[in-house]
Amino acid sequence: MAGSGTAHMRNTVDAVLTVRDLTVEFRVAKDKIVKAVSGLSFDVIKGETLAIVGESGCGKTTLARAVLQLPPPNSGEVVFDKTDLTLLPKENLRSARTSMQMIFQDPISSLDPRMTVHQLIDEPLEIWDRGTRAERDERINNLLNNVGLEPELVLNRRSYEFSGGQCQRISIARALALDPRMLICDEPVSALDVSIQAQILNLLQDMKDRFGLTMIFISHDLAVVKAVSNRVMVMYLGKICEVATPDTLYSKPAHHYTKALLNSVPIADPTRQRKTELLQGEPPSPMNPPSGCRFRTRCAAASALCAEQEPQLREVTPGQFVACHHPIV
Amino acid sequence: MSSLLSVKNMSINFDTPRGSLEAVRGVDIEIPAGTSVGIVGESGSGKTVMCRAAMGLLQGSNVKRSGTVVFDGHELTAMSKEEVRDLFGSGMAMIFQDPMTALNPVRRIGSQLSEGLRVRLGMSKADALARSKELLELVRIPNAAAVLKSFPYQLSGGMRQRVMIAIAIACNPKLLFADEPTTALDVTVQAQILQLLRELREDLKMSMVLVTHDLGVVAGNTDYVAVMYAGEVVEYAPTKKLFADMRMPYTEALLDSIPKIDHKSGTRLSMIAGRLPDPTDRGAGCSFAPRCKYAQEKCHKEHPELKKDPDGHLYRCWFPIGEAK
Amino acid sequence: MRKFTKPTWFAIGWLGLMMFFSLFGWLLPFKAWNFVYEDDLEVGLFSSGHLLGTDSNGYDLLSSAVAGTRMSIFIAIAAVGLGGFIGSVLGIMAAYLRGKVDTVMVTIFNVGLSVPNLVLALALVSVLATNVDINQAVPTWRRVMVLIISLTIVLIPILGRIARGATLSWSGREFVTAARSMGMKDSKIILRHIVPNVLPALIAVAFLAVGVVIIAEASLSILGVGIPDGASWGGMIARGRNDLEYAPHVLYVPIVFLALTVISTNHLGDVVRSKLDSREAKV
Repeated sequence: MAGSGTAHMRNTVDAVLTVRDLTVEFRVAKDKIVKAVSGLSFDVIKGETLAIVGESGCGKTTLARAVLQLPPPNSGEVVFDKTDLTLLPKENLRSARTSMQMIFQDPISSLDPRMTVHQLIDEPLEIWDRGTRAERDERINNLLNNVGLEPELVLNRRSYEFSGGQCQRISIARALALDPRMLICDEPVSALDVSIQAQILNLLQDMKDRFGLTMIFISHDLAVVKAVSNRVMVMYLGKICEVATPDTLYSKPAHHYTKALLNSVPIADPTRQRKTELLQGEPPSPMNPPSGCRFRTRCAAASALCAEQEPQLREVTPGQFVACHHPIV
Repeated sequence: MSSLLSVKNMSINFDTPRGSLEAVRGVDIEIPAGTSVGIVGESGSGKTVMCRAAMGLLQGSNVKRSGTVVFDGHELTAMSKEEVRDLFGSGMAMIFQDPMTALNPVRRIGSQLSEGLRVRLGMSKADALARSKELLELVRIPNAAAVLKSFPYQLSGGMRQRVMIAIAIACNPKLLFADEPTTALDVTVQAQILQLLRELREDLKMSMVLVTHDLGVVAGNTDYVAVMYAGEVVEYAPTKKLFADMRMPYTEALLDSIPKIDHKSGTRLSMIAGRLPDPTDRGAGCSFAPRCKYAQEKCHKEHPELKKDPDGHLYRCWFPIGEAK
Repeated sequence: MRKFTKPTWFAIGWLGLMMFFSLFGWLLPFKAWNFVYEDDLEVGLFSSGHLLGTDSNGYDLLSSAVAGTRMSIFIAIAAVGLGGFIGSVLGIMAAYLRGKVDTVMVTIFNVGLSVPNLVLALALVSVLATNVDINQAVPTWRRVMVLIISLTIVLIPILGRIARGATLSWSGREFVTAARSMGMKDSKIILRHIVPNVLPALIAVAFLAVGVVIIAEASLSILGVGIPDGASWGGMIARGRNDLEYAPHVLYVPIVFLALTVISTNHLGDVVRSKLDSREAKV
């Protein structure tokens, strides 16, 4: 598992983002290369939320940043709105980026502590010279109202005066300032308190509906992903394991890793605790991933074939794609 | 059942430039021997401060404490620092959220692990190292001999947490404090560590206080649960009872707001409006009243006392769930 | 934020006085600093007409110290300003661009730091401030220029490294990535987001650097390659060192001025540093 392939690609004209064969590698020392993302393809259709799930080190954050060309991938195509971002000259890339905005995990570090809320949200408008001073001020007020903050109360304060949840609202307002078509959310709620998480998730959902956004939602939390996504892509060590709709994926996982992930989520009900075998060990180093299927070293179903041949993504049930030689059926 | 640890009327205040911060307000908690008690709360609920104080680990000139802590027949609050310290290891031990900062980065695992054994149990160096290897095997670390010789940075987060657990159980403590032991870990590793703690507790007949923000973790790993909000215990009950029959609106709202894996996708999450209260400015009424959907006038004006149901279920609410309003 | 401790007030007051002396000292009704009072050789402290006495040549110590302030402070501020500017430009560029630029810069900084400050300054001054014709004296203004340039060169790697370190930590923050994803130009990101955040750390170090430079300038003057004719505090010490045995106050006066100034800058540097730390802890 954790294989390659393009069977899950929908090749439709509605695709807002199409990523093909994306590879990102970092050289950390002379002969040490971290293979963060290896030959990965996916597409996102207009209005859809694609969730990318995986544990730390699986390459999901690197993947998101590579889509934005921050930094650009080593190879592969990133076609956004029919333009391949990897081929764009720097100046065109700058303007192309405005229609894809990112929300980060750490709400405090994503806002410059020296700037007021007004300056923070004005910044993108100022860079692109959107409207007169008065028009921009009105836009800032609208944006703040949209994310549930009162402009008069917050405009002149700085990020460190706010709680994590409020900072995340400010980040969302800033991301929406340039009318992006796509929002890439990298673990947007994992640094927040439980009672605040739901507020931000609902807000993201509202903004998506109101502005017709397409979203990529990165998370390690399967329960959060289920609440917000239309399609889920499970990653392991820089490769795709499984792609499916959340309802299919959660009820009938076809990949052994997906199943192990699901079995690891704690259930908030003492009467319904599972008695299943847990996944043993920890992921191998991305500097030296296993041959064939990258998950085989921890997989109970692994055979000799898994070491020799890398599994390709294939459709096991309609709309459910899995890269495994021995899928669960 | 006798209680191993009992905390009575504990209050802790920090002096800060913005005024006195009431981190813990009049908390009473009993940890019955041989059980696992979960302490659940969000950031700022006082759960971590309360546990540090119960272990006598809270120091500093800006801290004001009151109340008593009795552990295994010793009144910790009346003992000297040295006497309390002698209880660490064999009496109680602690594991932390971030094992990287709790381990000394420049010393090998073997020397950190054997140190406690040599100091506490007076073992020879060779014996202590041999026992260290056994301990690492006990916490299911593969290739224990190699791990003894490695430095903390060479291990993964999950392995480091296992090492911390090995250090904590080295002297067979009666009570283990686990402060968010799995929050920094991935889900699959979290499940492994929780399973390990369950097994160790059984094998070593150890009690545990599990501090966490995650009701899911509490559900499968504890016998009793104390829910904290704004420095107070707002509900305390046996775990099964709590989940089956919640009395405190906060607990209910917290449980409802967690996304659940068996919900249908695209379900809108129910949420708790508003924010956590300012710890330097506690209002007159119930701390949760401003965010509570059942709040009435009385809730904003009068502070509710802890009430006890006949079956021992404790809660702090004027209009508990399941009672006629 | 507004509340300072007594030592801080003292440091601010003293440095304020020194700034006043260096800017407006020449307007004050003091005696001429470079005039020889032949009737008052080596009078003690608090003598009438010479508040801080005179030295064995008959120079008035108070006016010399006040006049010396100008030279010492001017050299210190000029060297720290220039060194800080060049150092931070290099350091910020190195950290922001990374790669080869960074490697080259770090190597240069490390080589610069590996030579003891005073030795480097001494070498630079003796090379730059000598005349081809050895019989002709080097004019004071040229000595001052050379001294400033030498001390600037000494400071560039020190301040450059600090700027680089601070930039590395700030440019990794997500708001920088956010700015790039909004389509902001690199030059603007540096000016808008990096510089304002790196500046406080640099200012804290600049205070310490002023103290270091004042001492370095004095040391060079004592060694005979700095400012001649008692025109700076170091120059005064150099000129008065022969009086140490029988008229120690000749040395005490410049030393007290110098010491109080250095203590004040160091203290203010610490104050700025701790304000910064507490603010950063909140961020």
